[in-house]
Amino acid sequence: MQTKRLLSVLLLAVTFVAGTGTALAADAKAESPKAVQAQQEIDKADKARKMAASVDSEWTTTGKLIKKAQAALKQGDYDTAIRLAKQAGEQGVIAYEQGASQKELRIPSYLKY
Amino acid sequence: MSVGQVIERICSEKRHIMKKTLIKMGALFLAGGVTLAAQATTPEEDRAAFTSHYKFRFTDVPVEEYANGAYAIDKIGRENWEAIEEFPPYEPFIDEGQEMWETPFANGKTYKDCFPDGPGVKGQYPRWDKKQGMVITLPLAINQCREANGEKALKYKKGPIVPLLAYMAFESRGQITNVVIPEDDPRAMEAYEAGKRFYFTRRGQLNFSCATCHVQNTGLKVRTEVLSMSVGHTTHWPVYRSKWGTAGTLHRRFSGCNNNIRAKALQAQGEQYRNLEYFLTYLSNGLALNGPGARK
Repeated sequence: MQTKRLLSVLLLAVTFVAGTGTALAADAKAESPKAVQAQQEIDKADKARKMAASVDSEWTTTGKLIKKAQAALKQGDYDTAIRLAKQAGEQGVIAYEQGASQKELRIPSYLKY
Repeated sequence: MSVGQVIERICSEKRHIMKKTLIKMGALFLAGGVTLAAQATTPEEDRAAFTSHYKFRFTDVPVEEYANGAYAIDKIGRENWEAIEEFPPYEPFIDEGQEMWETPFANGKTYKDCFPDGPGVKGQYPRWDKKQGMVITLPLAINQCREANGEKALKYKKGPIVPLLAYMAFESRGQITNVVIPEDDPRAMEAYEAGKRFYFTRRGQLNFSCATCHVQNTGLKVRTEVLSMSVGHTTHWPVYRSKWGTAGTLHRRFSGCNNNIRAKALQAQGEQYRNLEYFLTYLSNGLALNGPGARK
């Protein structure tokens, strides 16, 4: 009976220590400056993607890069997340400028009227 | 400059442009009216320019042949296509579409109630609808008919709408494309111009416009595909594409083209694609409808 109680107490202690450890690790992950930076870059990239979409000029590649960046962030690979998000952000900006710069109709010179 | 700074700069520029536009509009209103920007070219001039461009490139090909797309200019492709046409892969779709056409809705009405001249009405679309203030395409008209009769709308790229379109296209064979841009509603011309602007706008990571392939490089190859003329692009839909392994709609093809150049496809039967269809179909005015078709 006593052994059983002792085992239960031990099990509880182990669970508590393991739980606290995981929580601490998660906190460290969340508070890592690189994790914060990665999330910021992803947010910026998504904003840029939406701006490109607002002028019907979004590229197929941008959303995919953002998804990959999000996956890398989830896995704790912050450098990859930052690199991919930055790439997506640049694409979003270029795509927006591509769309916005062509608001005026320009007929190519090779089509003669 | 970082992405964040660029976004902030763009937002600031947008606010500035909006402010300037409002001031200009106010000035015009005070001056007693709004003047429309002069049209650089008329739709007829556009059609003539496109046709003469292709005539210059393919001197031996009669314009009527443009309705056959790339097979008008690709000899080997044409041989294959003619062999395929002996047992057309789109035939089951026509039969299925006929059954759909003849099956009454739950309320007892049929498609015939919406399309009194049907089923062969493809030559009447796309058309400008003054009441709705938009371009109405045949797939859109089909769904409006279904919804008016308490049925669910069909998806626009593939699925059950395709057989119905195939049957209606088959029954419309030989009709002459005759898109009209009514002069009594300036919005119709705006829709045509929007379609034209879409056609010439470079998009996607590859920075291609429709014209890059279908005007500038017509007759050249993208991998194994010969690039077709835009005059004739709209005559033969829906199409059984060997690549798809089934038949699909024109707007499915638009999406595919956009994806090929790494531009995110827009909504099928959305305003942009409908306007593009309006412009493209106008370019084919005078050509006979020959859908449904078969393509690689």
